[in-house]
Amino acid sequence: MKLRDYLRDKYIFIILQILAIAFIAYMLFTFRLNLYAILFIVTILVGADIAVLLGEYIQKQRFYKVLIKCLDSLDQKCLIAELIDKPSFAEGIVLYDVLKESSKSMNDQIGLYKHASEEYREYIETWVHEIKTPIAASKLILENNMNTSSKSVAEEVTKIEAFVEQALFYSKSNTVEKDYIIKECNLNTVVKSCVKKHSKALIESQTSLAFEGLDCIVYTDVKWIDFILGQIIVNSMKYKKETLHLKFYARELSNSVILSIKDNGVGIQEKDLPYVFEKGFTGFNGRNFAKSTGIGLYLCKKLCDKMGLQISISSVEKEGTVVQIAFPKSKMVIFET
Amino acid sequence: MAKIFIIEDDRIIRTELCNLLSRYGYDCEVSDQFETIVETALQSNSQLILLDVNLPYFDGYHVCREIRKQSSVPIIIVTSRDSELDELMSMNLGADDFIVKPYNTQILLARIASVLRRSVGNEPTNTVIYQDVCLDISKSIVSFHDKEAELSKNEMRILHLLMKNREHIISRNDIMNDLWQSDEFVDDNTLTVNINRLRKKLEEIGVHDFLVTKRGQGYMIG
Repeated sequence: MKLRDYLRDKYIFIILQILAIAFIAYMLFTFRLNLYAILFIVTILVGADIAVLLGEYIQKQRFYKVLIKCLDSLDQKCLIAELIDKPSFAEGIVLYDVLKESSKSMNDQIGLYKHASEEYREYIETWVHEIKTPIAASKLILENNMNTSSKSVAEEVTKIEAFVEQALFYSKSNTVEKDYIIKECNLNTVVKSCVKKHSKALIESQTSLAFEGLDCIVYTDVKWIDFILGQIIVNSMKYKKETLHLKFYARELSNSVILSIKDNGVGIQEKDLPYVFEKGFTGFNGRNFAKSTGIGLYLCKKLCDKMGLQISISSVEKEGTVVQIAFPKSKMVIFET
Repeated sequence: MAKIFIIEDDRIIRTELCNLLSRYGYDCEVSDQFETIVETALQSNSQLILLDVNLPYFDGYHVCREIRKQSSVPIIIVTSRDSELDELMSMNLGADDFIVKPYNTQILLARIASVLRRSVGNEPTNTVIYQDVCLDISKSIVSFHDKEAELSKNEMRILHLLMKNREHIISRNDIMNDLWQSDEFVDDNTLTVNINRLRKKLEEIGVHDFLVTKRGQGYMIG
């Protein structure tokens, strides 16, 4: 709050005071009082006014300055009411009470929604586990009665399974830390078990695979990284040209291991590249391949962020895409002994 | 032939799992009396127990603990709960392996085979014989009358798969899938080469028209 703004707020008071003092001075002048006496009285009156105004200004200015400073330094602006002291002037107390009241009401609201979303998340997770039983049963039935039509149904069931898994990971993605164990694992094992998991679809896509230099140790959560790799593999199959060449290779740097997954698919347009990790972004390929949801890569990025991995994507249109994931080598990330 | 006891409360999964395992040459036993499931499982004298976690009366962990008190029979836990905690708990209770539903059946079979191999020692059937063609799996040698030929790992797996499923057509994709499960990620061309080499080796030892191509469908023996 600037002094000028404050004075502008007080302009009626100031004008009235000036008029009143001028009137008093005029009256005293008509009473033929000594000019020095008049000047003396006027000075006292003006001085008193200035003192009152200045005092009030300083008090308010100090309060608002602290308020704004607190607000600026806060990540969550809604917590401002918790940080300020109760002011000593009436106007400030009203403001203080209003802030307190409104933040309390907002906290109640947030609590309500938090509870609701938590309940919803729990429901989704139970639902996913429930649905796994009929999916497992269907797969077994199909496996035991293989013919051409059951084969295509099996493919569809596999897709259902993938979507269900994605839903589970999506609902868990905000609370990764609750279900997260960092372990020492061999990149080779992780990659190959993920490839095996998608073996049927990969073979169907006539994939030729290559592995290079994967024999290194990284520290990560196997289940989450398996999901991330799965999403990348599924993307490669979705956006492939006639035959798919997938190459997994790793490079060890001084303090990290970089896993690259390279395909020879349709690639990503340069203008789409910066947005591929955004939720719901499907881009040019998404429009042409109809089945894009814009969730897969968004989830990959989110999970990588939560786990302290760096994920990046580079692509040349019509030539292919490379996804890189950087695992820290430092044992600092291990929580278990 | 190894005997497997399946503890699973979902009727459909139970029967289908039974069918699947029987097709792959295992003996299966089940029960739906879950109050006495521990005794039944132990009395069945099985070489392996497949155990679901969510069960009526007692959960799978309790069952696992009770079985471990009396027997060291291998236990594979099969569950739709997939948290690390569940896995940790299973392993701590003495389970030998932990598989998450819905599982890839090939992986389930592979895990079962590997647990059995560890516990029973060598697989009881080390040779597969059909029409005088004898495949020795441990030595990776195929023999016919008095001639024999050495097979590569891939050729051995292909022949083994086809001989196990004799008189059924196995598609190229299924063969590849089988090879992929053993870390041999062959593509279509490599498979053709492998099949041709296998044929040549069979012919060298005097086996002709054993491995039949079914155009557009795959291969079969018989």
